[in-house]
Amino acid sequence: MKTVLTLVWKDFLLFSKDKVAVSLTFLVPVALIYIFGQVFGVNRGSSGPTGIPLAVVNESGAPEITTLVAALKKEPAFRVVETTPQAGDAPPVPLTEALVREGIKANRYRFALVFPADATSDERFGLRMKFLYNPRNDIETQTVTGLLQKTIFSEAPAILLQSLRKQTSAYIGKEQTDRFYDQMAGAISEAFGYEREAVRESMKKGTMLGQAKAPAATGGAGGASADFLDRIIKLEKEQLAGQQVKSPAATRSVGGWAMMFLMFSLSASAASLFDEKKAGLFLRLLSGPVARTHVLWSKYLFCIALGLVQLVALFFAGRLLFGIDVTSNFGNLLFACLSAAMACTAFGMLLASVARTPAAANGMATFLILTMSAMGGAWFPLSFMPEFMQTLGKFTITYWSMEGFTAALWAGASFVEMLPWCGVQLAIAAVIMAFSLWRFQRGTIFE
Amino acid sequence: MLALTDVTKRYDALTALDGVSLQIEAGEFFGLLGPNGAGKSTLMSLVSGLRAADAGELLLDGRPLATRDAATVNAIGLVPQTIALYENLSADENLRVFGRLYGLQGAALTARITECLAAVQLEERRKDAMKTFSGGMQRRLNLAASLLHHPRLLLCDEPTVGVDPQSRNAIFDLLQRLNREGMTIIYSTHYMEEATRLCSRIGIIDHGKIHGLGTLEELLTRLPFAETVSFPRIPGTAAAAAALRSFGELVENGEQSHLRLDSRVRLSQVFAAAEKAGAPDRLFQLKRPTLEDLFLHLTGKSLRE
Repeated sequence: MKTVLTLVWKDFLLFSKDKVAVSLTFLVPVALIYIFGQVFGVNRGSSGPTGIPLAVVNESGAPEITTLVAALKKEPAFRVVETTPQAGDAPPVPLTEALVREGIKANRYRFALVFPADATSDERFGLRMKFLYNPRNDIETQTVTGLLQKTIFSEAPAILLQSLRKQTSAYIGKEQTDRFYDQMAGAISEAFGYEREAVRESMKKGTMLGQAKAPAATGGAGGASADFLDRIIKLEKEQLAGQQVKSPAATRSVGGWAMMFLMFSLSASAASLFDEKKAGLFLRLLSGPVARTHVLWSKYLFCIALGLVQLVALFFAGRLLFGIDVTSNFGNLLFACLSAAMACTAFGMLLASVARTPAAANGMATFLILTMSAMGGAWFPLSFMPEFMQTLGKFTITYWSMEGFTAALWAGASFVEMLPWCGVQLAIAAVIMAFSLWRFQRGTIFE
Repeated sequence: MLALTDVTKRYDALTALDGVSLQIEAGEFFGLLGPNGAGKSTLMSLVSGLRAADAGELLLDGRPLATRDAATVNAIGLVPQTIALYENLSADENLRVFGRLYGLQGAALTARITECLAAVQLEERRKDAMKTFSGGMQRRLNLAASLLHHPRLLLCDEPTVGVDPQSRNAIFDLLQRLNREGMTIIYSTHYMEEATRLCSRIGIIDHGKIHGLGTLEELLTRLPFAETVSFPRIPGTAAAAAALRSFGELVENGEQSHLRLDSRVRLSQVFAAAEKAGAPDRLFQLKRPTLEDLFLHLTGKSLRE
């Protein structure tokens, strides 16, 4: 037993002296738990997405639609956009259907509700509206659709009752209508014991029916009331982009996972500088016709080439497994892959330049890659995270790479349209690479 | 060929080389003998261009080494102390990588690889991954990789560490052959046997300073004694011990007495005196002075400390 205890003590002694192991065991998990907690919003009062831009065009002007728009504004999942900014100091102008269509195609927002002039009518019982969308992110689109239905169906009964009153009044006359509601209020009051005037007022406002909970979604589970609402609320859906995309969910998720594995493999390749140092290979290389810059640039070029091949291979695997269309816009997909490979390589080289040991480099890589993957939208949509995390997510390579892949594969973007996404990645690569080269020249890797 | 003048190299507070001056002529087999941490590898790294000296001058054929021009770089080959090869690559692939870096290619590169593998007796393992080699074979391949570009000056930094006797002899034979063919070799070691066997001139280094420089014979003359006569401390030798004190320094160590003879004393005088004192001469052992003795004399410590 003493022998075993001595060996156990030896292991604790070795562990306590290994700062990397200690941090990987305690600090990194705690940090990741905190970050993932923020990403998943575990401490928020309500879970689910927040601040998804929802363009709203109200051509109707009817008070019922104004009420419905107000309800949408109260929904935390949405950030209702009703105007578009103008150049210079000109005040923003209200959105029109044409502007919304253009904005969706340009990915300024991916969802819009258009209430036409005849959204409600005194002659017709019901509501009409158009839902325009760009389902670049399949999970987000499904969620937004569900939330919209929940909000609309919750408000619809009160709105529809008002509409019904108007039509009744027009058909049988105001006097007869008032008499009908008075008698109904009297009957309810006698049957259930409420104040007659209070019941009458509620019926006038339409709030009695409004208190009834409508089903959140249409379909079989909603039952009879949902079917009824489905019949009287005309929601015309129109997909404005990506109609040709064969496998929308896989198109995005393959890119996300590919990015994560790309960062892992390129960080490992960059960290192989430590292995070469340990093996004494730098002694041999640098004593010959090889300079430090040769070693670094060769590693950089190798990692870029490896990353490019890996990404393309993974997308082609996605084509085989899930039917992703990678060939229609292959040139621009290649541009997106190249930009991502360059940015990820720079990231890997940065880790190798700041770490003093391979274990430290690997530890940092694990922490940062998991964090960037979660925050950058590789696993699930940014819109599901708290708003500050959505903002932080834009500081990750993953975010820009994912958007680049989506632009190429989903929107069929041209080279010029790809530039914003790829340009940011190339700028990140240039800045990080310059810093890591500076660090390498002053660090101990070649000593 | 190689001239170092007042070369100093520091690592923070540690002075690894402290005003070292050396002249190495073309065709020499120069041994750098010293214990671990003496400054041998630092000196090698300065000559090979891996590091820059903090002070002093290093010239190769009259040209500063610091310029690292193509002629200088191609003139030097380094055999690092570690096995500086890619373990997953075969012997052929390893040599191909380093040969290409020196500008060799095509048939000329293939021919040169064949020559070098033959020189280190690894032709039959040409296609095998380096990691499958024994320690001695890896050492030989390590040497071959340094010979690809026909260097005129070969720097061998303890190239036989952990090597079996067979491989050690193969390496020695090859280095001696290369030296006979005109290659200048600087060989660092802490094994005095290697320096004695291989080197035409030896520099003794410790704490970053050269403590002795010359051929083996020249260095040994710096000892205040020549041979050592050892004999057991038994009654039959007691009278002889007393009689021999006048020939040098007598050190009594356990069951043995060691007489370090003054360099002017002739051995015949010693044995005549012993015979006269009645001690049987078959009990006497004669030992020539070694580099170990010299190192102890110059630095005050054993080479293996």
